[in-house]
Amino acid sequence: MGNKLLLAMPALWGFAFLAALLDRSGKLARIGIALGCLAGIAGCIATLPAGFGSVAVGFLLADTPIQFHLSPGACWLLLFGLIPAFFAAVLSSTAPSHSRQSAWLAGMALSLLGALGVFGLQDAMSFLIAWEVMSLGGAVMILGEGTSELNGSPTLFMLALLEVGAVAILLSLLLLGNHAGSVSFGAMATLRMSPSPVVLILGLLLLIGFGAKLGVLPFYEWFPAAYGSGSGATGVIFSGIVLNAAFYALARGVLDWLPQVGIWTMSVAIIMIFTGVLSAILAIFNAFQEEDWRRMLSLSSAENAGIAVAVLGASLLFAITGLPAAAALAWIVCLIHLAGHSLAKGTLFLTADGVYKTNKSYFIRQTGLLRNTPMIFGIGALFAAMSLAALPPQAGFVSEWYVFQTLFQGMQVNVVAARLTIALSAAGIALVAAVALATFAKLFGIGLLGDGHTAPTHLSVPRCCGVFSLGLCVLALAVGMPWWVQMLGPASQSLFGINAAIRMKDAWLLVPLSGKFAFISPTKLIIAGPILALLPILLFLFSRSALHLRRVPVWSGGRREDTRRIATTSLAFSNALRTFYGFIYGPTHNLEREYDHGPYFVKRLIFNQEVAPIFGPYLFAPLTRLVRSISDSVSVIQSGYLNFYNALIGLLLVLILTLALFYR
Amino acid sequence: MRGATEHLLQPSGIAEACRQLTDQGARLQMAYAWFPEPGEPPEVLYLADRGPGKPFPLLRCRLSRGSAQLDSLAAQIPLLGWYEREMMDLCGITFAGHPEPRPLVLHEGAHPPLPPLDPRYPKDQLMPYTEKAWDLPPIEGNDVQMLPFGPVRGDVLESAQIVFYYIGEAILHCHPRLFFKHRGMEKRFEGLSPLMGTFIAERISGVGSVSHALAYCQAVENACDCEIPVRARYLRSILAEMERLYNHLYYLGHLCHTTTLKVGEAQGKLLAEQCKQFNSVFTGSRFLRGLLKPGGLRRDLNLHGVPAKLYALEPEIESYMRALETTNSHLDRLITTGQLPYQTAFDQGASGPIKRASGIERDLRHDHPYAAYALLPIRIPVRKEGDAHARAQIRMEEIRASLALIVKAIEQMPEGPIDTEVRLRPRAEGLGWCEGPRGSTYYGVHLDGIGALARVKVKSPSFSNWRVFPFTVHDTNMMDYAINEASFGLTIAGCDR
Amino acid sequence: MPIWTLYGLSRGLATAPWPGKSESAQQQGALGLPVFNPDRCDENCRACADSCLPDAIGIEASASGERLTIDYGKCIGCQLCTETCPNSALEKSDHWAFGVRRREDLLWAEALATQEAQDLKNSIRRTFGCSLHIRHVDAGSCNGCESELQALNNPYYNLHHLGIFFTPSPRFADLLLVTGSVTYAMREPLLETYNAMPEPKWVMAVGTCAVSGGITGGGYSCAHGLDGILPVDIYLPGCPPNPSAMIHALLLLLRRAEQVVHRGHYGQ
Repeated sequence: MGNKLLLAMPALWGFAFLAALLDRSGKLARIGIALGCLAGIAGCIATLPAGFGSVAVGFLLADTPIQFHLSPGACWLLLFGLIPAFFAAVLSSTAPSHSRQSAWLAGMALSLLGALGVFGLQDAMSFLIAWEVMSLGGAVMILGEGTSELNGSPTLFMLALLEVGAVAILLSLLLLGNHAGSVSFGAMATLRMSPSPVVLILGLLLLIGFGAKLGVLPFYEWFPAAYGSGSGATGVIFSGIVLNAAFYALARGVLDWLPQVGIWTMSVAIIMIFTGVLSAILAIFNAFQEEDWRRMLSLSSAENAGIAVAVLGASLLFAITGLPAAAALAWIVCLIHLAGHSLAKGTLFLTADGVYKTNKSYFIRQTGLLRNTPMIFGIGALFAAMSLAALPPQAGFVSEWYVFQTLFQGMQVNVVAARLTIALSAAGIALVAAVALATFAKLFGIGLLGDGHTAPTHLSVPRCCGVFSLGLCVLALAVGMPWWVQMLGPASQSLFGINAAIRMKDAWLLVPLSGKFAFISPTKLIIAGPILALLPILLFLFSRSALHLRRVPVWSGGRREDTRRIATTSLAFSNALRTFYGFIYGPTHNLEREYDHGPYFVKRLIFNQEVAPIFGPYLFAPLTRLVRSISDSVSVIQSGYLNFYNALIGLLLVLILTLALFYR
Repeated sequence: MRGATEHLLQPSGIAEACRQLTDQGARLQMAYAWFPEPGEPPEVLYLADRGPGKPFPLLRCRLSRGSAQLDSLAAQIPLLGWYEREMMDLCGITFAGHPEPRPLVLHEGAHPPLPPLDPRYPKDQLMPYTEKAWDLPPIEGNDVQMLPFGPVRGDVLESAQIVFYYIGEAILHCHPRLFFKHRGMEKRFEGLSPLMGTFIAERISGVGSVSHALAYCQAVENACDCEIPVRARYLRSILAEMERLYNHLYYLGHLCHTTTLKVGEAQGKLLAEQCKQFNSVFTGSRFLRGLLKPGGLRRDLNLHGVPAKLYALEPEIESYMRALETTNSHLDRLITTGQLPYQTAFDQGASGPIKRASGIERDLRHDHPYAAYALLPIRIPVRKEGDAHARAQIRMEEIRASLALIVKAIEQMPEGPIDTEVRLRPRAEGLGWCEGPRGSTYYGVHLDGIGALARVKVKSPSFSNWRVFPFTVHDTNMMDYAINEASFGLTIAGCDR
Repeated sequence: MPIWTLYGLSRGLATAPWPGKSESAQQQGALGLPVFNPDRCDENCRACADSCLPDAIGIEASASGERLTIDYGKCIGCQLCTETCPNSALEKSDHWAFGVRRREDLLWAEALATQEAQDLKNSIRRTFGCSLHIRHVDAGSCNGCESELQALNNPYYNLHHLGIFFTPSPRFADLLLVTGSVTYAMREPLLETYNAMPEPKWVMAVGTCAVSGGITGGGYSCAHGLDGILPVDIYLPGCPPNPSAMIHALLLLLRRAEQVVHRGHYGQ
């Protein structure tokens, strides 16, 4: 039953793709995608914890039969990517016209198909095709919906960096395929490579390749511009299912294909940890300074992906140093972290679209939005923001706590370098958590909670319900975690030989493999919290009714002031950190005064500010210049003379003849 | 006008004459207008200072009937900007081409039926007023916050509103909005006898009673060609120095309050309190009020016990100032805070210890001696840094100088009469000046046909210095703002009148 | 670098004696508002009325000829009337504790009327007697009153040891203390401040300008003090009243001190 549902997914999405191309109103496409997502959700729930068995697709690609198989980890990540994708399909993008909507839906269908392929296809060539289809779908989504009037250069930048990643993946698969003698992933998994520097190269290639999509440094720099030229719904897909797919591919590559002994694999693990933590730090610092909903949320996705990569590295490290229980715990933690992340991020992206519908802009600014919208909208957004800020009792808190507990397990490792790495990474993740809290306080506080005089909003009922439902899903994930996590038990058994999931639960408590050290319990908190809140609520209601309240305006020195001008802006909120960490940001802060009759009489002031990207000017710009200079020197070939071209063709033919004659 | 050399000009010649004066190194001090006859066009006067020993040049021009308009000089001589706006508000004169033609003294939304200083303004009629938003220089940029701080400010402070454009901690631009306390004191003088006028002059700035009353009395005495006895001169100098003493000690205490040096604050304010009690014991008034009158003093004072008290107080003050100068946490907050460059101080009309801290070496007691200062040794302390520390240091030197001056003056003071008769001359005009604790105070007194006051122009030092203040606040930060404002040590009542 | 704690401790105690014990010793030499001896006053002499700038001294026709009216609420303490009076009917004095609850108590009356039972808010002593928070608003003063108010927190007067504090926000304030004769621009902010204070709240007019306008009231820019603008609970004339007079007026509000002036007569 579950299998049939899972097979319905590509069918429905393929149908939706065609419908989007042919039917300009986009209705059928939306229905198709939404139904496909529903089918996927139901199917994943039904097939966990066993996963979806192998199915031969029926094609042959270069003499290799294409197999499709969803492991339990893939099912888990697919499930949590499909839930927000369903809501995104129902609520749709904020594209201005129907034809743009249908272009966007076509892109979405492509992305979803590609992601499904990445999760399930089991040989290198079809995997690469699925990977590229996923990237193409993303580009079509952004370009298709035409939300911004910018030219497509952010999308081109994204595609360029993703191509660098794709080349890295291709090289790694070639290397592996060469060693294994076959392009199927099964062969690569059973290959027992001997430890050698090739392992290090392989690991780095995998990290670069999948990291380009995950936002590992320096690749997170395409995130803000690309997300910022799309709508929130595009961000739901990018940060949800696509991110999960990329992470799953990386996890499988690193854990299945690399030998789990030897110093080279350990160095891969250590590099992964450091890279993950550094990416997270840089990404969240830049996120904190952003002033656009989509850009801030995109960099936060890069941060969460960075943390997941770091914990994956820790898992590999523990597997190598002989702590299989900790390795299994770390792997499960990655998965629950990304699960909570995709739900919460999806909620906030849909909230961003709601903000856009009201304010006609994605700028984070105090507009009194929550006062004029139904309460459930705010509650859903609040749950999501709390989760990403790692506040109890939400899913983000659970996974953040587990991340730290996993790293503490690392103190048992007997290799000094490993212990040092773990310690430093824990410190780095603590810094990341603090800044993430500030970031989401800024987003929720200024963007939603702030005061301002908006006209009554026109948030549609589906959007409010969608945001609320997704927010509830985040809470439900946290509250039910002791039970949901058992779905990953058999998977961890098969990967690491230990069912860590059983040891993560102790009745209603969540524990890191043993209850002696620490525990948390969102399940109990969700009961105790409201009970404890009853007393203040009752007192409040009593005071409202019993006491006579005299309302006076806000005190501001004696004159009634325009509260909009006085309100905290997003720059004011983040300025302290910008000044303190100036060496990371390289902030520029420019106040121009227009003078009238000399330097003492100011007529007008113009203020703008910027934060400098690190890798843009120092890495990408020089590379671009290099490529341009090479292409300039090579462009002599484009001489324009027909005879020259004929001569070249003649030369080529001679070369082919020589090869055919003399090469055996 | 006695006390100054006059030049009568046509309205068109004013710009050229001012340019000549600035070329010679003179510095404009004030500009004002008055109505010699009700219903006739006003006359505008500009006062300059050519330097030590040279008489004050005074430019006068009568505006033509039907067009109360002059060309604005604010672009060339920035410090005239505020004087011209004041004339626009209170006398109804238009200054064509003024760079900031916004209301200054009367807030936006005040609509007096006639310019208030017009003699025909109906007596005792409150002008109609509705609160309106300020006309501020616009700032473009989504991220900038505005903080309108005031007019009711925290703690016991005078009422004024300071508008900041800022982001978090960094102040981008500062725009003080003063004149909430404008009481129309200059109009109060109209019709009073010169003796009664003293009471108004004393209460323009409560902590500058003596400096204002002194400048006023000297203006009336100049107008009526009256020479006061030597003992009165000495007593006036002593009173002026006593006022300087308690003001500067309170200033040091308040500065410590803003740098959160609690014991330093307590000690400074206690010393100021001891000086006020000392004033009360010897003169009957903590603020030295009710002593001065045109012609001398109202009663004689027995100051024989003063040097002994000062000898007892001086070591306390010395040790306090030495302790302040060696406290690193206090100095850290003062050094480089609120830097005022020489050129800005000169162009914008800074006065008193503030201009001396930026390198302008001028003091009315030395350059144009009045009371008994010609007979007493005056040293002018000067600093070049122009920061809060320099302003504090100037005041410390002035405290030391005042203590020495009081003792010396009491030593040198002869016995004798303390007042003479003032024979009022109809239509007389006189200029009086005084170097108060905050800077130079000028009074221009015009008597009418029966010897009563027709117009008194009050130029208080806080008016000049408040104009300078924003230039030290732009592009600084919020933490330094309170320290900077305390280091200027200005009153708002003196500015607003 | 000096150790300021030791510096302060070495200076010893600087606080004046507790109020109620020899206040006049605190303000040696300070002149207060003139005392009126009507028996020395000459008929048909207008010297004092003519020399009174704020019109505190007036001439009123009555059944027994003209007589003087003195309104201490308008007196600025310039002492000119004491100098122009030929018979010392108005004399310099050290009477500065002029805080009163009713405005009529500042008007000199021939015979002391029996004191009416006042609408006593007795609870004030119980609730606020030990801790009063004041919000000060400067509604157009000359800064003299502010200088004396700021002096209340110096080590000599040490207002905190009486349990009285100045607060920065009207939301925490019990007493609104107003100086100045309410300029046109400060009228609205003053009323906003009053509205921003929660009940129960009181108002104190400090300084002759706030009580009656003094010499700054009227004209094109000022009202005549707080009359007609806010309900006042304590009036304290003086130009400016010295800090001991202010402390007396605050304790009078809290019923920790007795009123000294009744119908213009000082002391009992």
